[in-house]
Amino acid sequence: MFKLISSSLNYNFLGQKKIAIVISAFLIIVSLASFMTKGLNWGIDFSSGYIVQLKFEKEVNISEIRSAFEENGITDSVMQSFGSNNEIIIKLKEESNFNKDSVNIFLVDALSETHPFEILKLEFVGAQIGDELREKGEWAMLVALLSILVYIGFRFELLFGVGAIIALIHDVIITLGFFSLFQIEFDLSVLSAILAVIGYSLNDTIVVYDRIRENINIVKTDSYEYILNISINQTLTRTLITSLTTMFVLISLYVLGGSAVEYFALAMMIGILVGTYSSIFVASTSLYFLGANAEHRKDL
Amino acid sequence: MSSYPRWKYILVVLVLIISIIYSLPNLYSSYPALEVNKNNKIDIYQVINIIDPNIKVENVIQENNKFIFKFSSSKKQLDAYNKISFSNIETNYTLTNYINLPDWLKSINAYPMFLGLDLKGGVHFLLQVDKDNIKTNLLREIEDDVKDILIEKKLRYNSFYKTEEKVVVNFDIDKPVDEIVKTINEAVPDVVISKMISDKDISFEIIPSEDLISRDIASSLAKNLTILRSRVDELGVAQPILQKQGKDRIIVQLPGLQDSTRAKGILGSTATLEFRLTKGTPEDWYASKVSGTPVINSSVLYKQRDESPILLSRKVIVGGADIKGANSGFDSSTNTPAVFVNLSDYGASRMLETTSKNTGSRMAVIFVEKNKKEVINVAVIREAFSKSFQITGLDINEATDLAILLRSGALSAPMEIIEERTVGPSLGESNILAGKNSIYFGLFLVGLFMLIYYRLFGFIANIALIANIVIITAVLSIFQATLTLSGIAGIVLTVGMAVDANVLIFERIREEIMNGNSPNASIYAGYQKAFSTISDANITTLIAAIALLTIGTGAVKGFAITLVIGILSSMFTSIVGTRALVSLIYERKNNKGLSI
Repeated sequence: MFKLISSSLNYNFLGQKKIAIVISAFLIIVSLASFMTKGLNWGIDFSSGYIVQLKFEKEVNISEIRSAFEENGITDSVMQSFGSNNEIIIKLKEESNFNKDSVNIFLVDALSETHPFEILKLEFVGAQIGDELREKGEWAMLVALLSILVYIGFRFELLFGVGAIIALIHDVIITLGFFSLFQIEFDLSVLSAILAVIGYSLNDTIVVYDRIRENINIVKTDSYEYILNISINQTLTRTLITSLTTMFVLISLYVLGGSAVEYFALAMMIGILVGTYSSIFVASTSLYFLGANAEHRKDL
Repeated sequence: MSSYPRWKYILVVLVLIISIIYSLPNLYSSYPALEVNKNNKIDIYQVINIIDPNIKVENVIQENNKFIFKFSSSKKQLDAYNKISFSNIETNYTLTNYINLPDWLKSINAYPMFLGLDLKGGVHFLLQVDKDNIKTNLLREIEDDVKDILIEKKLRYNSFYKTEEKVVVNFDIDKPVDEIVKTINEAVPDVVISKMISDKDISFEIIPSEDLISRDIASSLAKNLTILRSRVDELGVAQPILQKQGKDRIIVQLPGLQDSTRAKGILGSTATLEFRLTKGTPEDWYASKVSGTPVINSSVLYKQRDESPILLSRKVIVGGADIKGANSGFDSSTNTPAVFVNLSDYGASRMLETTSKNTGSRMAVIFVEKNKKEVINVAVIREAFSKSFQITGLDINEATDLAILLRSGALSAPMEIIEERTVGPSLGESNILAGKNSIYFGLFLVGLFMLIYYRLFGFIANIALIANIVIITAVLSIFQATLTLSGIAGIVLTVGMAVDANVLIFERIREEIMNGNSPNASIYAGYQKAFSTISDANITTLIAAIALLTIGTGAVKGFAITLVIGILSSMFTSIVGTRALVSLIYERKNNKGLSI
């Protein structure tokens, strides 16, 4: 039998709760501080404006394109080269001074003679759409969290639900904090990743909680800490293997999936790292402090 | 014989067979193509001539009542499409991706997955009814109706005016307030009236009620949807999507197109035509302006295409509402582009009356788009005409598009494009490739790990994993749910998570063996004990996925759909499927140990 972890492992995870609290508190404070100072770098899905990805027939210099834009009266564009030297991504504000219906015509006028191109991608999101998407995203997150709380409360006990939600909020804050701190663009795909992380991290927590519930009935001890510890240990191999296999596909997605899923994969990777950590250290620690202790165990 | 129930084996085999059959169409590759409907007016050489010998047609197939022209690249396909769009060919054509599916697959409705625009390329628009325009029109109606009723009931007002927001009527204080309110309410029931009373007079401010506005938006939206559908049909793209979203929006998706300019022009356009007689000359008009004498006050000054001014009668002979049909083509004598217009009976009789009275005068054709009016043609009326006639003065592209707009009728309220996404076909192709590669490579890594870690059981889990992908593909194909790049991300994620159920089961089996249980008992207990954990874990993930579905927009929805399908199918393959295989392998013989 090939094993990641010895089956006789009985590590005192809960004994490390002070260190875990310090680490989590640190990460959360850094994340919140970053929200307040830097905020999130909203992609056009959530703000508004244009994104145009152009592929030129020959290699181009961004400064040439920028000056071609300036000659045509657009000075507030943001450009970056993308992948190869003949592709660039251009961001324009919604209120840029060309007629909204004619961004294609503007591009043709400004560039087609000197720098023949093909439009790979063009996106325009109006201001009200951006706001709506953001609002819907917040709602989805809230609905997800609440319905999960209800389900766990129903299947286990309310305190378990609260414990799971604490672990979830912990994961979401830190993942968002990462995106804020490094100012990585937050678009719709990242939002889906965050919601997927909610589902995933929960998955991990449930597996541990399920084992806790089972052990409460079979392990004869008064020490709640002991039950939590052996439950974490018993599920540890599974927690790590599942995180590992999911990591495999995410790495594959990140490396091979192309630019459109790059941020999605990144957000998921961060979320899964944090989620794995939290299902081992945070979920049970919060359960311990919430007092779902040995006195309650007959109700579980 | 195995203790595992026979019906479960049958179920597994059945699901697999159906899934394999319905995922088969995805293995056939597709080609950029242009379908041209056959009729007795066209022949294949004519079409090739239009398409241009420079755009090489790879292959032409005749199928049912169509010619299918295949191209080696989507660029050539689009060039050919543009050529044919602006030709005067008298048939329908469709920009499409051609897949040569065998008949037996078609006969059981097995088609490839429906790819989203980010995978096959195309343009997406979200259009919204212009609420301000609706309000303005309602205010205008209210203004007319209220004025009429007040005059009719002889309720004399001091002043009556309309602003952008409201209609305001002012009365002397001694007028019967209640009666006025009642009268107005009877004439225009769905308005909100507020009173402003001072010492000597009283003002009523009238605005349309929110209810009236939203009803008007709803009916405009319904009408616009029909009009847009007929416009979209004219564009000749395969599988366009046109649907209402929310209260005041319409989504339009046009697969295969790359340049959104023309589509935008056609979808958002409120363009129509007006016909008027000329009256006087611009010189007269300027002279009358300078002298202040209203010599020709029934005329309006317009601009022609060359910017020169022209003076026209205020009276519209025939407007957009009276145009019943239109086709584009070429004038037979001059061979210049023309639009052939057909009028309604009412329009025809007005036209006949005007033209027979004014033979020898000049008539102007005015192109009306939103608030812009432009004279596209002025011609001498040589003889009276009524129902059908042609107008020139446009280039072929304009004539083609104008004919489309006239045929579909004018939008009932202007619509604004509030979101647009274009993905070029080449990016779509590379997205598909990237998606496929990441699935294959992810599968490979996970499979290798499982094989090393769980040996024979890992192998079984891998078979379940592949079966899972086949089932997801089949379900997406059967329901023709849209697969987007984020949907592929959902599948990839499912691959990672699908093995989770097996990891849970296998770890349990290992525990049971270590506790000294027999192999068969361990298998039984492993599956038994892991089940509640697996279902709890999957149901909670399902909840999160359904919350994602409620966001309801493109990328997120695509991800959530495949995630939901993936969770359900992975529960089937990794619990029922692997159990069937494990029972088949181990329960037949009196086994001494498990390869786990």
